[in-house]
Amino acid sequence: MRCAIMNTQRALIPGLMLAAFIVTGGPAAYAEETGDAAARRGAELFEKNILPILEEHCFVCHSSQADEIQAGLELDSPAGLRRGGDSGPMFTAHDPESSRLLRMLRHDADEAAMPPDDRLPDEVIAAFAEWIRLGAPDTREDSGPTVREQRLKDSMKHWSFVPVRPVSVPPVQNTDWPRNRLIDPFILARMEAAGVRPVRDAGREALIRRLSFDLTGLPPTPEEIDAFLNDRSPDAVERVVDRLLASPHFGERWGRHWLDVVRYAESSGMEFNFTYPHAWPYRDYVIDAFNDDRPFDVFLTEQIAGDLLPAEDGDSPEDIQTRRVAAGLLAFGPKRHNSGGMEFRMDIVDDQIDVVFKSTMALTVSCARCHDHKFDPIPTRDYYALAGIFLSTEPLYGTIKQKYSNNPTELLPLGPDGAEKHRIAEAHEKQIAAADKTVQEKETRLKEAVAAEEEQKARVQEADQLLAAVTSRLEASSDTDPAAAEAERTRVEQAAAQARTELSQKTEQKAAAEAELKAAKAHLEELKKNRPPRPRYAMTARDREKPADTKLAIRGDYRTPGDVVPRGFLSAVHVPDSPPVNPEQSGRLELARWIASPHNPLTARVMVNRIWQHLMGRGIVPTVDNFGLIGKPPSHPELLDALARHFVEQGWSVKDMIRQIVLSRTYQLSTVADPDNLAIDPDNRLFWRAEPRRLEAEAIRDAMLSVSGRLDRTPPDGSSVTALGDQLVRGIAPEKIQPPSRHRSVYLPVVRDYVPEIFDLFDFPSPSLVRGRRAVTNVPSQALYLRNSAFAAQQARSAAERLLAWNPSADDAARVDHSMRLAYGRRPTDQERTAILNMIRQVRDAEQQAGADETNAVQRAWTAWFLTLFSSAEFRYLVDTAASSEGTAS
Amino acid sequence: MKPPRISRRGWLRSASCGLGALTVSGLAPVEASAGLLAPRSPHFAPRAKRVIFLFMAGGPSQFESFDYKPRLRAAGGKKGLKKGTLLAPLARFRQHGECGMWVSDAFPHLAGQVDHLCLLNAMSAPSRAHPIAVPMLHTGEFQFVRPSLGSWVLYALGTENQNLPGFFTIKPTRTFGGPANYGSAFLPSTYQATRLGWEGQPITKAAISNLSPQHGLTGATSKETLRLTQQLNRRLMPQTNQVQGVMESLDLADRMQDAVPQVLDLSQETQATLTAYGVDGKATDDFARQCLLARRLVEAGVRFVELTCNGWDHHSGLDRFANKAAQVDQPIAALLTDLDQRGLLEDTLVLWTGEFGRTPETQVLEGKETIGRDHNAEGFTAWLAGGGVRSGLTYGRTDELGYRAVSEEVHLHDLHATILHLLGFDHTRLVYRYGGRDFRLTNVHGEVVHDIVA
Repeated sequence: MRCAIMNTQRALIPGLMLAAFIVTGGPAAYAEETGDAAARRGAELFEKNILPILEEHCFVCHSSQADEIQAGLELDSPAGLRRGGDSGPMFTAHDPESSRLLRMLRHDADEAAMPPDDRLPDEVIAAFAEWIRLGAPDTREDSGPTVREQRLKDSMKHWSFVPVRPVSVPPVQNTDWPRNRLIDPFILARMEAAGVRPVRDAGREALIRRLSFDLTGLPPTPEEIDAFLNDRSPDAVERVVDRLLASPHFGERWGRHWLDVVRYAESSGMEFNFTYPHAWPYRDYVIDAFNDDRPFDVFLTEQIAGDLLPAEDGDSPEDIQTRRVAAGLLAFGPKRHNSGGMEFRMDIVDDQIDVVFKSTMALTVSCARCHDHKFDPIPTRDYYALAGIFLSTEPLYGTIKQKYSNNPTELLPLGPDGAEKHRIAEAHEKQIAAADKTVQEKETRLKEAVAAEEEQKARVQEADQLLAAVTSRLEASSDTDPAAAEAERTRVEQAAAQARTELSQKTEQKAAAEAELKAAKAHLEELKKNRPPRPRYAMTARDREKPADTKLAIRGDYRTPGDVVPRGFLSAVHVPDSPPVNPEQSGRLELARWIASPHNPLTARVMVNRIWQHLMGRGIVPTVDNFGLIGKPPSHPELLDALARHFVEQGWSVKDMIRQIVLSRTYQLSTVADPDNLAIDPDNRLFWRAEPRRLEAEAIRDAMLSVSGRLDRTPPDGSSVTALGDQLVRGIAPEKIQPPSRHRSVYLPVVRDYVPEIFDLFDFPSPSLVRGRRAVTNVPSQALYLRNSAFAAQQARSAAERLLAWNPSADDAARVDHSMRLAYGRRPTDQERTAILNMIRQVRDAEQQAGADETNAVQRAWTAWFLTLFSSAEFRYLVDTAASSEGTAS
Repeated sequence: MKPPRISRRGWLRSASCGLGALTVSGLAPVEASAGLLAPRSPHFAPRAKRVIFLFMAGGPSQFESFDYKPRLRAAGGKKGLKKGTLLAPLARFRQHGECGMWVSDAFPHLAGQVDHLCLLNAMSAPSRAHPIAVPMLHTGEFQFVRPSLGSWVLYALGTENQNLPGFFTIKPTRTFGGPANYGSAFLPSTYQATRLGWEGQPITKAAISNLSPQHGLTGATSKETLRLTQQLNRRLMPQTNQVQGVMESLDLADRMQDAVPQVLDLSQETQATLTAYGVDGKATDDFARQCLLARRLVEAGVRFVELTCNGWDHHSGLDRFANKAAQVDQPIAALLTDLDQRGLLEDTLVLWTGEFGRTPETQVLEGKETIGRDHNAEGFTAWLAGGGVRSGLTYGRTDELGYRAVSEEVHLHDLHATILHLLGFDHTRLVYRYGGRDFRLTNVHGEVVHDIVA
C-alpha cells in the first residue's frame, strides 16, 4: 500500500510533465487529458512491445513458471512487476533515467546485465524507456497472489506460528508405567503406537550421577551417593532433585546453557579483538537469575529492555540496577570497533536482532537484512521495523578510544554509590589531566627561564669583555680626552653592572620556575597516588535521545535507502493484546512484552524445548535454534505444547519445568540399548531409553577438579579480564588471558578466539555465534589433553595425594573403589578391580625399577590410575553401567 | 550389538544435509571421529589432493616480484593517477624458463622454477585493509566468523592419515582475526587447524600442545594406562557408538605422539636436502624449516598446510625488499623441486599469496627515511603451482602502470572456487547448514577460472 502511494506522489511531480504543463499553459484538465492519452499509448505499447519481450526473455527466470524464481522477481503478474525484486522496484514511473531496469537492459556496468547473455536490440530498449516515461502502465489484472505472497501466506501456517493449544493426555495401554501426567503418557503413547517398549529404569547410582551433572554440572560425592542409596523412601529422588535445584551450583550450570545461546563473551572478537573488562556482571546476573528462578518472561524482558522497565513499588535500587545489567545482552556481541558510523551501527543492530530472535523465538530474522527471508514469513520490511527499534537504542559497551577502537561509550557504574564514585573518579581524572598540563607548562616555563639565564650569562660575559677592551684601550692610549674616556668607561661599567643585576634576576626566576615545576610535579604525583576508588562497571543499553523509524536498506546496504518502515515486530506472528511501539521510546519494552507474552506462539515452546534438550540429549524440536520452516518439526508436538502451556501456567518457572522433566519416568530410564527397539527406532527419537550423553567441556574440567579435591566452589569476585583493562587481546600474553584458576569453569574468561584450551577441545561453541546446541566430537587432541596436559597431570597428582591421605587404614582395593566412586559414581566390578589393581602394581614396580623410591612409585601408580580415569569414556559420559549384564543389548 | 555402519554414500547424503548429519552426530550412529575425517568422494575427478598455502602476510609488492612493468620503470618519478608519484620498480626483471616468465631478480631461486608456476597477475580482493583482507583471504568473509579455507578442505576431503591431524597451520599470525583465520567456526572442531607455534616464535621452538606428556611417568606406564583405559571403555560399547569414537581418538592420539614428532623431525632429512632448502642459512633458516615441514606433512597425508611469512607490508623499507624475498625464495624453490622430485607436485596445490598487493605510487611515511608502497587490492599477484594448474602460464594483466586488473581478473572468491574445483569439489555444492542456511566458502560469489586448469 505504502509503496503504491509513494509512487503516485512521485508520479505527480516529474520534470517532464511539469515542463509540458508550463509550455502549454493550459488548465489542469488539459494536462489530465494528456495524461490519459499517455496512459493509453503506454498501455498499447505494453501489450504490443513490452509484454511479449518479458514473456520471451524474462519469464524463464523471473516468473511463477520459473524453476526457481531469480532475485524474487515475478514479472508475470502486475503486482510482481510493480514490486520489483529483492532489491526493490526496478523503475520509477515517468522517470526512465532513474530506473534500474533500463540500466540492466543497456548492460551498464553498475547493474546486473539483463538478459544476461545477449543485449536486446536498441529499439526494444527504447520502447522500454518510452513505456516507463508514459507511466509504465500494466494492462493485465492480478489473478491471485504472487508466488511470494502465497509463500508468505502458506508459511504463516507453519506449526510454530500457530498458537499453543490445549492438548489432552493421550490414553496408554500400560497404565502402570507413567509416573506423571505431563510427560510420560505422551512419550509412552508414541512408543506403544510404534511397537517400542521403554527400557528399564536407570540404576540408582547412574541416576544420581545423571541428576547431579544435569542440575549442577558436578559429580555427586560418595557421601551424597550413599545418602541416596540408603534412602529407600518413595520420595528419595524428589529430595535429591530439590536439594540440587536449591544448590547455588544449579545457576552455574543452567546459566552457562543460556550464555551459549546469547554468545556471551568478554572481548569484541572480529579482526581487532578488544577486551570487554566489564562483561562479567551480566554473567553473574544470569547465574543469579537461574538460582532465583526468575520467571523466564521477566528474565527475557529484562535482557531486552531492563533499562526501560518502569520502577515498581518495592523495587530497591539494586533491583533497578540488576535489570540494567541484564540489558548488557545488547552490548557484548562481537563488534568491529575499527569501523564506524552507520556501518558500525547497522552491524550491531544486525547482531542484536540475530541474538534476540534466535535465543527467544528460534527464528533467523537477520536473514531478512538483504532480502525477504528465503523460507520463513519474514519480509525485509519486518527486519527494518525491528532495526528502527535497535537503532533507537544505544548499547553501552565501554572501550576506550585508541588505535583501531573508534567508538567508546559510557558504562553503567555499579553499586549504591557507583554513580557518585564514578563522578568523583572522573573529576579526579580531569584534575590529573589538568595537573599534567600544568606540569608541562611549568616545564616549558623552566626551559625558557634556563634559556633566558644562559642568554643573560652570555650578555654579562659580553659586557665584561667590552669593559675589559675599553679599559685596556683607554689605558693604552694617552691621547684621548680623559673626561670622555671616563664617561665611556662609566657607561660600559654601568652596562656590565646592569647585566649582572639582570642575571641575578634571571637566576632567581629560574629558581622560581624550578620550584614551581617541582611543586606541580608533586601535586601530580599526589593526585595520581590518591586516585579515588572507581566503582565496578557493567555493560548495558539505553534509549537514544531521539528514537526514530528507519529506512529500509535495499539489498542490505544502508547507502541505498528505501522507504521509511515504522517500528514494529514480526508481521507473521500474531500476539494478541500486545502494545504498539511507544513513539517516545525505542520500542524495546514493547518488543520485549511481545516476545515474552504468554500468547507468543514461539517463546515458551522454544525455552521448554531447550530445557528438554539439555536433559534428554535432543530437543523435541531437534533444531533448537530454528523453529522456522527449515528447522526440523517436533517429534512430539502435543508434548511440546503441553510443556509450553504448563510452563506459562506455572509462571514461567524454569526450575519447575526442570523438576517436572527429571521426575518423569522418561528421564529416569536407563541408557541401556535394546536390540528390538534399535531395529525400529535406531536414533531413539521416541525416547525409549535415556540418551548416553557426553559431558560438556565445563563439566569435564569441573569433575576433574572435584576428583582432585582442588575445585574452589566459591564464585570468584568478578573476572580476571577486568584487570587487563581495555586493550587488544593479541597484545596480551596467553597465560594472562587465561590465568590458572581453580574456580568453576563457568567463571573462566570467555575471550573471543582465546577461550580456555579445554573449551576449545571439547566443543565449546564459538562465542561469536548463537548456538543452543553443542556439537560432540571425539578427536585425538582431546585424548592428548586428558592424558598429557599439565592440567590433567596436576589433577591426577593431587587426586592421588588426596586418595592416599583419605583413609590411612584403607587397602588398595578400597582405594580403587573410592576413586571410582569419585570419578564414575559407582564401584568397580570385581573384574575391573582386579585389572586396576594389576595395573597399579605393575606401574609401581616399573616406576621403582626406573629409579623412583617407594613413596614416589606409589604416588605415581595412583597418578597413572587417575589419568586413566580422566581419559576414559565413562568419566565424560552419562551412562548406566550398573548391572549392565541385565541390560546389555549385544 | 554391532553398530549399524553408514555407507560412505549414505554419509555424503547426510553430510549434504549439513546439520542433520553433523550436529546430530551425538545421536545418530555415525563414527564420531573417523566418520568426520574419513576420505570422501569428490563431486568430480580431483586434480589435487592436498594444499600448501604460503601466506605472505602484509601484502607483498608485485612490482618487485612477479608483475613486470616496463612502463612503470620509464614513468618513475612522474605524477601518478592518484595522489602520489610513480615509483619505478626497485628490482630488475628478466625472463626465465621455457615459458619466458618475467620474474624479478629478488627471486633468483624461484626464477628457476617458473615452468611450474601459474602466475595470476590480475588478482583482486575485496579490501585493501589488513583487518578485512586477512579474514577474507582465509574464510571468504570478514563481517562474520566463518570456517577457514583449510577447514572447508578438510571437511571436503577428510584425512588420508589417521595418525595425523588433517590441517596444520605453522606460526600463524595473532592479528587480524587471529585464530579465526584457521578456525572451523560452525563446522565441528574436528576441522580446525592444529597449530604449530605462533608468529614471532622461532620455528625450532614451535610445538604442538600436549604432545609431550607433562605427567612425568615413564613411557611404559603411559602405555599401561592406555591399555587399561581402553579395557574400561569397552564396557560402554553396548550403550553408545560414541565410545568407539573415544577409543579411536585415544589410539590416534597415541599414534600421533609417535607420528608427529617423527614427521616434525628434520634430522631425518639428508644434508643435501637441508642445504637445498636453506636450513641453517642466515636468512633462510626459519622459512626453510617451515617449508620442509610442509613437505613432510603433506607427504605423510596431511590435507592442508599453511605457512605464514610476516613482514611484507612495505610502507617503508622497500629498498630492503630483496632481503625479505631472500628469506623465502630459496626455501620455496626447494619445496617445489622437492615435491616435484617426489612425484607429489602433480597432486599438491601450492598457493603463494598475500592478502593484497601494493600500488605503483611512492609512499613516504613521516619519520621514516626509506620509501615504500601503500596497499592495493584492485590488482596484485598470486601464484599457484602443481595440483592440476597450467604451469608456465602468466595469466591476467594489470594496466600498464599496475593500478588495477584489466584482463583475466581473478577475484579472491574465484581463487577459492578454483581451489575447491581443483580438489574435485563444486564450490556451490560444498555446503554446511548452520542457523537455517546453507553456507559455503564462497558465500554467493566465485567463478571457477577454467583457463588456469590444465
